[in-house]
Amino acid sequence: MSDPFDTLAGWLSEHLLIPLLWQVGLMRWEDLAYGWALFATYGAMQVALMYAICLPLERFFPIERWPDHRVELTDMFYTVLARVGLLPLVTFVLFFRVQVAFSGWLTDHGYVPPTLERAIPGLLGHPILTFLAYALILDFADYWRHRLSHRFRWWYALHALHHAQRQMTFWSDDRNHLLDDLIAALWFGVIALGVGVPPLQFPLLVLVLRFLESLSHANTRLSFGWLGERLLISPRFHRVHHAARAAGKQSCNYGAVFPYWDMLFGTADFTTQYAPTGDPRAPEALASGGYLAQQWAGLQGFIQALAPPRRHLS
Amino acid sequence: MPRTMLFLTLFLLGAAAARAQGLAFVIDSAGAAVSVVDVGSEREIRRIPVLREPHHMALTPDHRFLLIGDTTGNELLFLDPRTGEILRRLTVSDPYQLQFSPDGKWLVVNGLARNQVDIFDAKDYHLVHRVALKSMPSHLNFSPDSSTVYITLQGTDRLAAIALGSGAVLWNTEVGETPAAVLWHQGRLLVAVMGGNGISVVDPATGVVRARIPTGRGAHNLFLSPDGKVIYVTNRVDGTLAVLDAQSLKVTREIRVPGGPDDLDFGPDGRLWISRRFAHSVAVLDPVSGHYDVIEVGRSPHGIWLNTHDHLPRALAGTAPPHS
Ligand SMILES: [Zn+2]
Ligand SMILES: [Zn+2]
Repeated sequence: MSDPFDTLAGWLSEHLLIPLLWQVGLMRWEDLAYGWALFATYGAMQVALMYAICLPLERFFPIERWPDHRVELTDMFYTVLARVGLLPLVTFVLFFRVQVAFSGWLTDHGYVPPTLERAIPGLLGHPILTFLAYALILDFADYWRHRLSHRFRWWYALHALHHAQRQMTFWSDDRNHLLDDLIAALWFGVIALGVGVPPLQFPLLVLVLRFLESLSHANTRLSFGWLGERLLISPRFHRVHHAARAAGKQSCNYGAVFPYWDMLFGTADFTTQYAPTGDPRAPEALASGGYLAQQWAGLQGFIQALAPPRRHLS
Repeated sequence: MPRTMLFLTLFLLGAAAARAQGLAFVIDSAGAAVSVVDVGSEREIRRIPVLREPHHMALTPDHRFLLIGDTTGNELLFLDPRTGEILRRLTVSDPYQLQFSPDGKWLVVNGLARNQVDIFDAKDYHLVHRVALKSMPSHLNFSPDSSTVYITLQGTDRLAAIALGSGAVLWNTEVGETPAAVLWHQGRLLVAVMGGNGISVVDPATGVVRARIPTGRGAHNLFLSPDGKVIYVTNRVDGTLAVLDAQSLKVTREIRVPGGPDDLDFGPDGRLWISRRFAHSVAVLDPVSGHYDVIEVGRSPHGIWLNTHDHLPRALAGTAPPHS
């Protein structure tokens, strides 16, 4: 019995990517082709799974009903770009190689980037345990990245893109400014040097986590109950973070998958029910503009926040 | 009664012989594991988890260890070649391809991501020379006198010769688009040109290309058969195995092996064990009939090696390893 994802990724590599690379004279990157194919295959599966589960939930148990669904198309574009399309390719070709080269350089200077499995040898060979340990560490790191992105004006100018959506659906998880994505990639790159991040070993488990993140944005009346809410982040919990009045500096429920960090650091709100979403102070282009308009508006806000305040002549 | 005993003894001996045939080690690069395959039954019997991304392996000259390079894990693993048990770990940055020199004195490790070639003393694994080479040093091979190592540079379409004693680069020349394997053969160097459709024949003294021989698109790896009569070339893009006459270097046959054929080792019965990068399996190919069995392994099989070769200690081959 072979894994259907492996088979599909292999088929894509053999019949599409490798002949293409050979044709355009880029065979030097053929080692990365399979990794990317695997990533894209799982990404496509994530999108299919989101569609199959979240769409009925939004259809039959919606919080809000909208006459016009056009602004959701942009979010769909973000999702496909991030999970199947170009972004994984950039991540693989650029980021992965840079990280390998940098960790190798550190090794030569006496710093071996540690890995969790080397520190706790019992983990090696227990993929689910290993993955859970990494998921907890990365989720903790993401909690602080997200919390800080609300704290600094220049950073929030970028992150406001994620918050500006007033028609939040399960497609909204990936709507981020490219610069914000880049900061996140660097952030996790640094974490990886501290604890090591397994790049490809556990694609199925990554799929489950990414699905939970999408679900938490769904426009659906879904709470996991008193205990469930304290174990995993639900659509109700994350929607509180997206509530119009929680946009900006004073926010809550920063977590992505696990609510423990919000509970531990006093930022959890388990009581608020389904409030309207959006960021009333964000420029309108961030909410209803197309992809490029949103990226441009985010960049402008970022530059304005960084520029020194103008002096007024008196 | 004695007759029953005799049958029983024969039966047990027969079973032991079947089991003693040996193991194949197949590295699963994207799965961070090494698949252990029982050669007799052609079944994967277990998986050895490693840290991150293993690619290739080499047997130590004393046959005591099978070295496996984990590139992004930055370590060399020392396995018992008879059982697969991990006996030792050594920190080495970015080990991609690795090979011992014919005289057993040197271990050369290519760092593909780091653009470096590390030359170790094979006695105690201390680093003697580090040679920076642009870019993406991939495969390697030695001159028979162990004075020189030849390195293909996948990123810059070149082949470099390095003197092992001094670590000096003797020459560095262009040999074809994205060169992969290099093989010393009868006073010449054969280089598989992966971005092209065949092999370049290179003068080992100067690095000048003397001839080009088409074998198929994406020529990747080169192997001389144990009897020295033929050379096999795996063609990654075409999904074929080209068979060349070792004397004339003429292609005598082309055998279809789809699924991105990569590495190869020779089985005890004369069949070829070929890793198929994109088909999560190994093809065990009869070079006479062209038919092959398929053995399912991890998702991205790369380096392959069998412990059934004659010169190896076989007493323990195929027996269960201690729990690790
Ligand atoms: Zn936020
Ligand atoms: Zn969100």
